[in-house]
Amino acid sequence: MDTQFAQRRRRDLIVALCLAVIAALAPLFVKDVYVQNIMVLTLMYAALSQSWNILSGYCGQISLGHALYFGLGAYTTALLFTKFGVLPWFGMLAGGAISAVIAMALGYLCFRLRGHYFVIATIVIAEIALLLFQNWDWAGAALGIDIPMRGDSWLKFQFARSKLPYLYFALTLACIAWLVTWWLEDSKWGYWWRAVKDNPDAAESLGVVVFNSKMGAAAVSAFLVAIGGSFYAQFVSYIDPESVMGFQFSLLMALPAVLGGIGTLWGPALGAVILIPLTELTRSYVGGSGRGVDLIVYGALIVAISLALPKGLVSVFSWRRGAAR
Amino acid sequence: MSPLLETRGVWQRFGGLVANSDVSISVGRGEIVGLIGPNGAGKSTLFNLIAGVLPPTQGSIMFDGEDVTRLPAAERCQRGVGRTFQVVKSFETMTVIDNVIVGALIRNTKMRIARQKAYEVLEFCGLAARADKLAADLVPSEKRRLEVARALATEPKLLLLDEVLTGLTPVEAQTGVELVRKVRATGVTVLMVEHVMEIVMPLVDRAIVLNLGKVLVEGKPTEVVRNPEVISAYLGDRHAVGA
Repeated sequence: MDTQFAQRRRRDLIVALCLAVIAALAPLFVKDVYVQNIMVLTLMYAALSQSWNILSGYCGQISLGHALYFGLGAYTTALLFTKFGVLPWFGMLAGGAISAVIAMALGYLCFRLRGHYFVIATIVIAEIALLLFQNWDWAGAALGIDIPMRGDSWLKFQFARSKLPYLYFALTLACIAWLVTWWLEDSKWGYWWRAVKDNPDAAESLGVVVFNSKMGAAAVSAFLVAIGGSFYAQFVSYIDPESVMGFQFSLLMALPAVLGGIGTLWGPALGAVILIPLTELTRSYVGGSGRGVDLIVYGALIVAISLALPKGLVSVFSWRRGAAR
Repeated sequence: MSPLLETRGVWQRFGGLVANSDVSISVGRGEIVGLIGPNGAGKSTLFNLIAGVLPPTQGSIMFDGEDVTRLPAAERCQRGVGRTFQVVKSFETMTVIDNVIVGALIRNTKMRIARQKAYEVLEFCGLAARADKLAADLVPSEKRRLEVARALATEPKLLLLDEVLTGLTPVEAQTGVELVRKVRATGVTVLMVEHVMEIVMPLVDRAIVLNLGKVLVEGKPTEVVRNPEVISAYLGDRHAVGA
C-alpha cells in the first residue's frame, strides 16, 4: 500500500520529466516565431496557474486578485532595473519577496473572511492596487515603464532577436512550480492545506493551525506568481498598470486550473496547454475587432467542462484515481 | 495525582442564554466517563469548551496539571486532547488514509512515518481495508470510525467522543463499544457525550448527568439510572414518582 503510493509519485515525476524534455526539444522542430510565442505564454500561464493552485486549489482560498502579485513582480523588476540598474535576476527575487510579504499582510486581514467574502476582498484589493499604480508618478503612472533594450544578454535577461531564451526560462519556471507542488503535496503543508480546505474546524481539532496554514500557502503562491510577473516584464519589455495588473490576469491564472482540475497536481498544466493556445489562436484568427471572441470561446469551454466534468479534465485520466476508487 | 481533566466553576452564556452554569467536573486518568443528559442540557457546549472551540465566559479548565482555559483547539490537541464531532466532519475530498495522516502529522514530522502510523491506527479501528477510498464514499458508521481514527492518530491522552454511538444500528453500536474499550485498554482516557443511555451505561465507569446547564448527579452508572432526579429530567416528573 505504501509502495503503491510511492510508485504513483515516482510515475508523476517521470511523466513530468518526459514532458519537460519534449517541451525543451520542441523548438528544434518549431521555428515559427508566432508559435514559439504561444509556447512561451502557455508555459508561463502553466507556471502561474500552478502557483495560484497552491493557495486556491490546495488550501481552498479562492483568489481572484493574483494579478496584484503578477504586477508587483513585473513592477519591482522593471523599477529596480530602470531606476537603480539592478539586474532583473535580483529584481525577480526582490519582487517575489515583496509579493510574499504583501500576501501575508493582506492574508492577515482577509483570512478571517470565509467563502465569497474572501473572493470579493481579493478582487477589490487588486483593483485598488491597479488604481494606485495608475496614479503613481514615480512608477510611470498610467504611461508605464519602458525597459530599455541594450542588446541580447543573459545577464540583463533581454533578447531582441530570439524567443528561445524566454521559452527556456518559462519552461524552467513551469517545472519549478510543478516540482514545488509535487513536493508540497506529500508534505505536512500539503496535508494541512487540503484539510483546511475540506473542513477548517476538523483541521483545527487535529492540531492544524488554520491561520498559519493559509499564510504559508499565500506566501508560496504569491512568490511564484511574482517571479512569473518579473519574467513577463522582461519578455514584453514594456509594462503599464493595465497590462500587468489587470483583472484578466487573475482570471487567466484561475481558469486553467479550474478547467484542468482545481487542487490537482496536473490540472493547471493541462488546462493551460488547452486554454492558452486556444485563446491566442482565436484572438489572431478572428482579428483585432474580435477582442471578446476569445473570451466567449473559453467561457463556453469552461461551462461545458464544469457541466460534464466538474472535477476538471484530469478526472478523465481515471487510471490515476483508479486505485483510490 | 491530579485528575487528567478538571473544569472549575465553568460558565458559558450565549447572550441571555446560560448553557453551562457553574459546572465543575473531573475526569481521572484511564477512566471512561459518560456525559449524559436530555436535549439542551449543555453537553455539547461543555464538550466544546473542553476541546477549546471557544473559551468559557467564566471559570477555568485544567488539563494534565496545566491551565488550558485560553488555549485554542489546535494547541489543546498538541497537549493531548483529541475529539470527534457530533456531525461528522471528514475531509471529504481526501482518502481515508490521508484523513488520518493529517492527525498523525502533529506527532510525526517525517511523512513516511506519519503514513505508517496512520495505517496502524486504521488497522486498530478496523478501517484498513478502506484506506484508499475517498472519505466521501464511506457509509455513516465508517465515517464515525474514521473520526475516531483521526483523533487517535494525534496520540491523545484524553479522547472526547461526541455521540459516536448515536444513530448506529445495534450491531454497529456494539462494534463501536468494543472500539472504545480497546482505546481505553491502550491507556487513553475517554470522555463521551451520549444521548442514548442504554448504550453507554454498560460501557462507562462513571456517568455525569447534566440538566439545564448544571451537573445534576454523578456516580456509578447503575446508581445514576435509578436516581429519581435523572428519571424526572429525562422523562418528566410523573415517571419519577412511579420509580
